[in-house]
Amino acid sequence: MRQTLATLPALREKLKAERSLLRCIMVCCGTGCRARGGMEVADAIRDELAAAGLADTVKVELTRTGCHGWCEQGPIVTFEPEGVFYTQVKPEKAREIVASFQSGEPVQKLLYRDAKTKRHLVTYHEVPFYSKQTRWAMRNVGRIAPTEIGQYVARDGYKALEKVLSGMSPEDVISQVEKARLRGRGGGGFDAGRKWRSCRKAAGDVKYVICNGDEGDPGAFMDRSIMEADPHGVLEGMILCAYAVGAREGYIYVRQEYPLAVEHLGMAIAAAREYGLLGEGILGTDFSFDIRIARGGGAFVCGESSALMRSVEGRPGEPRAKYVHATDRGLFDKPTVLNNVETFINVPLILDKGAEWFAALGTEGSKGTKAFSVVGKVNHNGLIEVPMGMSLRELIFDVAGGMPKGRSFKGVQTGGPSGGCLPEALLDLPVDFDSLTEAGSMMGSGGLIVMDDRNCMVDVARYFIHFLVEESCGKCVPCRDGLKQLLEILTRITKGKGREEDFGKIEDLCFVLTEGSLCALGKSAANPVLSTVRHFRDEYEEHVRAGYCKAGVCRDLCRYVITDECTGCTLCAKSCPAECISGDRKQVHVIDQEKCTRCGSCFDVCNFGAVAIRGRA
Amino acid sequence: MRCVRPRCRSVEESEMIRLTIDGKRVEARNGEFLLALARREGIEIPTLCHHEAVEPAGACRLCMVEVTKAQWNGFSKLVTACLYPAEEGLVVRTDTERVMKTRREVLELLLARSPRAEAVRRLARQHGITVPKYNVDEEGDNCILCDICTRVCSTLVTGAIARVNRGVAKKVATPFDEASDVCVGCLSCARSCPTEAIAFLDDGLKRTIWGKTFDVVACSVCGAPTVTKEQALWMAQRKGVVEEDFHVCDACKVGKTGQACRKVMW
Amino acid sequence: MESKLMHVFPEKCTACRNCEQACAFAHLHEGRPTRARIRADADPQQREGKNVLVVCYQCDAAACVAACPANALWRDMKTGAVYHVESRCIRCSSCVAACPFGNMRWEPLRQWPSKCDLCGGDPVCTRFCPTGAIQYK
Repeated sequence: MRQTLATLPALREKLKAERSLLRCIMVCCGTGCRARGGMEVADAIRDELAAAGLADTVKVELTRTGCHGWCEQGPIVTFEPEGVFYTQVKPEKAREIVASFQSGEPVQKLLYRDAKTKRHLVTYHEVPFYSKQTRWAMRNVGRIAPTEIGQYVARDGYKALEKVLSGMSPEDVISQVEKARLRGRGGGGFDAGRKWRSCRKAAGDVKYVICNGDEGDPGAFMDRSIMEADPHGVLEGMILCAYAVGAREGYIYVRQEYPLAVEHLGMAIAAAREYGLLGEGILGTDFSFDIRIARGGGAFVCGESSALMRSVEGRPGEPRAKYVHATDRGLFDKPTVLNNVETFINVPLILDKGAEWFAALGTEGSKGTKAFSVVGKVNHNGLIEVPMGMSLRELIFDVAGGMPKGRSFKGVQTGGPSGGCLPEALLDLPVDFDSLTEAGSMMGSGGLIVMDDRNCMVDVARYFIHFLVEESCGKCVPCRDGLKQLLEILTRITKGKGREEDFGKIEDLCFVLTEGSLCALGKSAANPVLSTVRHFRDEYEEHVRAGYCKAGVCRDLCRYVITDECTGCTLCAKSCPAECISGDRKQVHVIDQEKCTRCGSCFDVCNFGAVAIRGRA
Repeated sequence: MRCVRPRCRSVEESEMIRLTIDGKRVEARNGEFLLALARREGIEIPTLCHHEAVEPAGACRLCMVEVTKAQWNGFSKLVTACLYPAEEGLVVRTDTERVMKTRREVLELLLARSPRAEAVRRLARQHGITVPKYNVDEEGDNCILCDICTRVCSTLVTGAIARVNRGVAKKVATPFDEASDVCVGCLSCARSCPTEAIAFLDDGLKRTIWGKTFDVVACSVCGAPTVTKEQALWMAQRKGVVEEDFHVCDACKVGKTGQACRKVMW
Repeated sequence: MESKLMHVFPEKCTACRNCEQACAFAHLHEGRPTRARIRADADPQQREGKNVLVVCYQCDAAACVAACPANALWRDMKTGAVYHVESRCIRCSSCVAACPFGNMRWEPLRQWPSKCDLCGGDPVCTRFCPTGAIQYK
């Protein structure tokens, strides 16, 4: 099974030829779809294929893929090469699906229905959520069985490695990455080529390559999807990096909460070793490199590169001052390159298709694409990969389908707990590293949380600070003690006990966090607060001075009141989880304020706009 | 005579670099931390988590200074002097408004956390803080998590204590808060603590710290306390010391020395 | 460069304890002569000229230096004395236990070790000794 530079191209041609004859039913078995029964759907389809006599043919294949990045539509089933796209599939539909596979007639009920045009769309090429994306990092996601190395190879996998080991020097590789101007996709946006070059130049024979798969931002799952769905892509990127910098050992650090990613990466590593793509003498050359998986223990701070390295070393994950760079002294005090999953997955593309090709897409400062996890109050929640430079407006309102009916856009949080909230006025900003940072936010790892008029921005700030208080490592004073004080103030404000002097204190705390913190967790902790104070100051003032939360979120600062518009349809009373709405049919209903939890269900279901959010009595 | 000064090495001229600190042109060894350099030049920079015997931690953030370089085009940043290495052409300022404000804010936070810690109160007063601005934890103990005790114990003694937990729950403790097998009761942690935050009982021949009680070896001559049995054993295991010496207190050792001298001389 | 040596002539010592007083007042926050860095060990039989002055021998292979875990005892290259560096001391009292002669003293009130460091080159005790039992030359 071991491949050499001579045999791999032939193997690839063979696999491509074989697979070009195949028709596949692809069932998503990523974490999201699994939770909704994806594995059972796959099992049912397998049984139906067997019943139809299609189980053992070389022409039909049932593929269990990794996460597509559109979990809300799952379980997803697609046909390749046709691209038929079925959503929310249940195991009971297996027979119909296999029948449609044979006949070519799609099952109407399972097709995706476009909300705007109301039409059923047959293939995913037509679905705007997919068609408007440029999936480079996610090129194999949902298109292969992640645990089958042959399928990766057939889609030009390990072609870049083959090309590099056939005649490029490490210097050539770094040069390509530099020319492509690939910037880190994990949040820092640091120039990857420059980092690799510093590591190559550093003294010493022992060097390390680390892939950061910690992905701690709440709501972000780009890296999860890539690790689950295309583990070989990540490995290939790391192998190319190791060749470039002179490392023999690498680690993939996967957060504790991604067991499927660990499983798939482990299988991929084993397969790569078997095929001679990892280990001693890769592809028959004298370049050797091997990878181990290190698992996190449930700490957001271990996504910080120096804390991650301490964690791999078996020590508590506490960051250290970065005055000495990791490329000089990192893991075990040796020169180390640490890059994010998405950064590494771009590397084989750059080396296969060339730096110029890669750099042709994107903006002046940010080349290539970026995968975003778009969540929140928007029609399509999922992974969206677009070229750098697309405007936030286009991303949210076009690709992600815009605001649900009846809701108005208020703001978008970019970059998770390290980022900031941007208001409507800034929606025409392009998504790239520098524009977002200048606006007081940051790209971060790509989390995008869309918020509407029913999100309280003070509560949003409080939520992120609460998250950071729990995740702070506690080593330095500004972060450990400063975040605690900041949380106390923000909580008081959401409870109606805000004071005028709190504004000054918030500013001072944000100052010491930004200037005095030891690591990026603390340094960027002020962003959610500063950006919401900057762009939504009126909400803060309303909370403090008027004791009113107009979004209807802060329990003590609002009341849900049914107005005379009420027609007595009783829909609200039926949907109230606290059972606190009373009233007869056709009579104006009343909410018991004592029991009301301010969940907003009544507001959501009322078709007559008869529920108002008022200040406290 | 054997030279025992640590890090005693002759410094080549070429290793010296030039930088400025508070407007003063100084020379330093390449890579030397700014804090040592400043103190050598008589410039006062407050610290709480710094201890000469252990590696710097950069935890308290009091020693922040502002650095820039001509090539940085006006960009400057705050760094901890205890960990930032001197570089050729560095321009260091220890007293800018940005630095002073950061120091004050750090002291405000420490004061709110440990209102009774004398070292914190003293530094706060020196920086013009009289009434704490933030929410004071009246029950707050004196531990400011400077980690001097853990660094001292883990690098110089036996490693009986460490930082445990994350964030505001972080504290210094023995494993699982149980009596440590390796603690020798030397009291270095308690004595090195800048805020006297470590409780212990030192009652003549019994000593209790971190939940472990020790027997202190009594002087075989006068019965005064010397060191704990465990510390004596630990010292004996280090090279060059003899256990018998530990059973006599320093005053009685003087007497024994006098006796021995008398025997020899007369 | 040859450094001076502290010469002790015990036959000249009357155990007047001037040296102890001078040392204690010069160095100790407590000023307690019993905790001074030089001790006159008076002859128990009170014979004349049999009093012993016990002061640090600045040993070549110093037990205190070997015992110190924190490298807080350094050699003064000028005087040859072993001196204590307070900023490095972790106050474990290992040095006190280690010195076989009792010349590393423990200050009970301040809880710090103290030892003779030849006052940096101008020993105070020498100046106050009335009989010349201590000379620095």
